[in-house]
Amino acid sequence: MSGAVAEPADLLAELPVLPPRRDSPLRALERPLPRRRPRVLYGIVAVGGALLIGAAQMGLSILTTQSSYELSSLTSQQRGLDYQKQALTDSIAGLSSPQYLAANAAALGMVTGQAPTYLRLSDSAIIGTAAGSNGSSAVNALTQAAVANALVSGVPLVSDPSASLTSGASVADEAIAATIDMSTPPAIADGLPTPATH
Amino acid sequence: MTTRATRSPRRRTVVALAVVLAVLAAFVVRLVDIQVVNANDHVTDSQAFATGAKQTLYGARGDIVDTNGSVLATSTVLYDVQIDPMLAAQGIKKRDADGAVVEDEHGEPVMTTWPELAAQIGAVTGQSAADVQSIVDDALALDPEKRYAVVKQFVSTEEFRELAELELPFLTFPKHPARTYPDGAVAGNVLGFVGSDGTPLEGVEDQQDSCLAATNGTLTYQRGADGVIIPGTEVEKPSTDGGTLKLTIDTDLQWFMQQLISEETQRLNATWGGVMVVDVKTGKIRAAAETDSVDPNDPGASAATDRGSKLFQFSFEPGSTFKPVTIATGLDTGVLAPDTRVYDPDRMVFPNGAVINDDENHAPETLTATGALVRSSNVSLSQLGAMIDPQTRLDYLKKFGVGQGTALDWSAEPKGQYHEVADWDNQTYYTTTFGQAFTVTVPQVASVYQTIANGGEKLPLSLVESCTAADGTVTTPDLPDPVQVIKPETAQTLSTMLENVFAQGTLAADIAIPGYRMGGKTGTAQVTDGAGGYKDGVYFTSLIGFAPADDPQYVVITVFDEPLNTRMSSANRISFKKAMMQVLTHYRIMPSNTATPLLPVN
Repeated sequence: MSGAVAEPADLLAELPVLPPRRDSPLRALERPLPRRRPRVLYGIVAVGGALLIGAAQMGLSILTTQSSYELSSLTSQQRGLDYQKQALTDSIAGLSSPQYLAANAAALGMVTGQAPTYLRLSDSAIIGTAAGSNGSSAVNALTQAAVANALVSGVPLVSDPSASLTSGASVADEAIAATIDMSTPPAIADGLPTPATH
Repeated sequence: MTTRATRSPRRRTVVALAVVLAVLAAFVVRLVDIQVVNANDHVTDSQAFATGAKQTLYGARGDIVDTNGSVLATSTVLYDVQIDPMLAAQGIKKRDADGAVVEDEHGEPVMTTWPELAAQIGAVTGQSAADVQSIVDDALALDPEKRYAVVKQFVSTEEFRELAELELPFLTFPKHPARTYPDGAVAGNVLGFVGSDGTPLEGVEDQQDSCLAATNGTLTYQRGADGVIIPGTEVEKPSTDGGTLKLTIDTDLQWFMQQLISEETQRLNATWGGVMVVDVKTGKIRAAAETDSVDPNDPGASAATDRGSKLFQFSFEPGSTFKPVTIATGLDTGVLAPDTRVYDPDRMVFPNGAVINDDENHAPETLTATGALVRSSNVSLSQLGAMIDPQTRLDYLKKFGVGQGTALDWSAEPKGQYHEVADWDNQTYYTTTFGQAFTVTVPQVASVYQTIANGGEKLPLSLVESCTAADGTVTTPDLPDPVQVIKPETAQTLSTMLENVFAQGTLAADIAIPGYRMGGKTGTAQVTDGAGGYKDGVYFTSLIGFAPADDPQYVVITVFDEPLNTRMSSANRISFKKAMMQVLTHYRIMPSNTATPLLPVN
C-alpha cells in the first residue's frame, strides 16, 4: 500500500465486540458414512408414472385414430347423401315454375285473367260484369306457352302426361277446351252432389 | 488508472456477448425469412413433399329470390367427365363379384375392352359409343401418351354418380359450381345469367355481384396411406356463401305478363313488346316483362340481342304519353286550368313559322285542356304549352326525369336526351309540348305516371329489395330521396283529367274494367330511322295507366315496337286491359265505389 503512515492507529479497537462464536455445524468426519440405499418406492412411482403417461398417450392416440376412421366413413356417407339430395333437387327443379303450373292448370281446363265481379253488401249492388266465366282464358298457358324453361322442357304435365310445355296441348286438352264453352251448367239428375261423411 | 488485470475480463465479456448477439441476430433474420418472408413457398413445398393435400372449399353463390321469397336463381353443382386416354385404351381387368380378377385358362386376366367401356360411358352421358371412342382415338392420334381428354362437360350429379359407380379408374370428375334458375325465362331479362366459368354476365347477376359472390376457402391436411386424414393435421379456412338478393319482382305476376306480352306481340306482328308494373306507393317494379326473355338456364338458345333487356335499355321519343307533363307544368304554375280553352283546327301555322298537325283530320272545334288530352291533340297542346315560359317547361320535364336516367342504374341504360332551350328551333319550341325532341326509356315514362298517381311525389324506381349476407346482416340499396315534383293539388287535378282520357276517349269501351276508375294516356311515338328522320308508317306504341284512380295503387305500361297489324296505340288496348285486370285481381284491389267525375271536353 502507498502513502505515509504517521502513527499507526488501532483500528480494531473501535470495532464492537462480537459474541463468542458457537460451534460450527460443519465438522470433519473421521470416515465416510456407509452409502444409503435409494428408496425403491420413489423409483417405482417415477417409472410407473412415466409408463402410465406413455400408455395414456398411446390410448388417446388410438382413440383419435379410431374416431378419424369413423369420421372418414361418416364423411363419405354424408357425401353420398349430399349426392342423393343434389340429384333429387335437380330432378324436381322447375316443377314449381309458374309456366309449368299454369300449363297443368290449363290442361285441366282452368282459365285465368277474368274480370272480377263483386257483390256490395251495403246495397246488394253487383259491381263488375255480373256474368260468369265465359271459358276463355286471358292467356293460353298451354297452347301458346311462350315462357321457356329448359328445366321442364319436354317434361310431361302431371295433369296430362301426353302434353308438355314444349309440345303444347294434346288431343285430350283440345277436347276439354272445346267442351268448356257450354252456356249452361250440366244438368243435375240426382240432387246436389254431397260428400259421404260419417 | 485501471490495470490490465481489471480491464481484460470485462472486455472479454463484452466481446463474447457481442458474438452471441450477432449469432442470435443471424438466427432471428433467418427465422423471419423462413417463417414470414418465404412462408408460403415453404408451406407449399411441405405440402408437395409430404403426403399433404389441399382442397378448395367452394362457397355457394347467393340465391336470388322474388319479393315473396320464391327462388329465382340458386346454386348447384355440375361435373366434368375427364378421361385418361392412354389408360382407357388398354381396357380394364374383369373382376368377379368378390372383386377378384377373373383369369382365363392360361392364367391371364380377362380384359373388358375399351369399346365395351365406351358403350357403358355413352349410355350414361347420352353420347353414342362411337362418339366416346373417337374422343379417345383423337387424343391418342395427337399424342400416344396423352393422359387427358374431356368426354363431356357439365353433367348432372345423377349422371356423375352413375359414371362413378362404373368404377373406371381412368375417369375423373372435377366439379363446377353452377347456377340454376328454377323458373326458367320468368324474369330472365332482369336476372341475367352467369357464364359457364361462373362469371356473371347480365342483369342483376352482374349488377349485384358484390352481394351474390361467394368467397372460396381451403382445407389443407395430411393423408395416411389409406386416404384417411391424419388427425390434427387439418387446417381449414372456411368459405363464405354469397348473400341472398331479394328483388321487388313478383314471380307469378311476371310470368303472366311475359305470357301475355308474348301472345300479343305475336298477334300484332310487332318487333318486340313489353309490360311494366310499378307500385305507386313505393316505386317498386313488380313486373318487367318483355318478349323473347332469355332463359338463363340456356342463354345460348336466345339470340344475342335478346340476352339483355330492351325494356330498360331502349330509349325513344315518348310522344303523347308526355302531354300530361305539359299540362302539369301549366297547372302547377297557375297558367292553365282544366277548362282553359283553345281553338283547334287540325292543322295550324304558328307565328314563328312552325307547322303542327293533329294525328287525324277533323272539323275545327274548341277544346278545353282536358279535351286536348282526351283527343290527344298536338295543335291544342302546342297552343297550351306556348302559354308557358319555355325554360319552365324544360325545368319541369327534367324534374319529371327527362335526361336524368333512373335509380335502377341498369347496365347500358340511357339517361335520355334533351336540348337546352337556346338550342330549340321553331318546330322544337312546339313539339316539346307533346313528347317529341327528347328521349326517355320505358321506366322513365312509368316514373312520370307514378309521380302523378302518388300526389306529385316522385319515388325512385327500384328492382332490388335487399341483400341478406351469409351472417344475416340485411342491406337495403341506397336510393335517392323522394322528390315533390308538382303540388298535391296539381297531381289531383291532373289525375282526374287523365281519368277523363280513359272515360271519354275513343279507347273507353275497349279498356274499361267494370267497377274500377282508371286514368292514363296513350302514346304513338315516331321511330327514328337512324339517319336523322323517322320511319314511315311504323310507330313505337304505348299505353300507360294507373288504377284505381281514386286511390292509385299500380301503374301499368305496355309498349310495342313497330306493330304491323294495328299500327297506332290502339294496338295496346287488349294487352293493357288484360295486364291491368290481372294486377287488380292478383293484388285483390277493391273496386272504386264512385264514378269518374266527367269534365267538359269542348
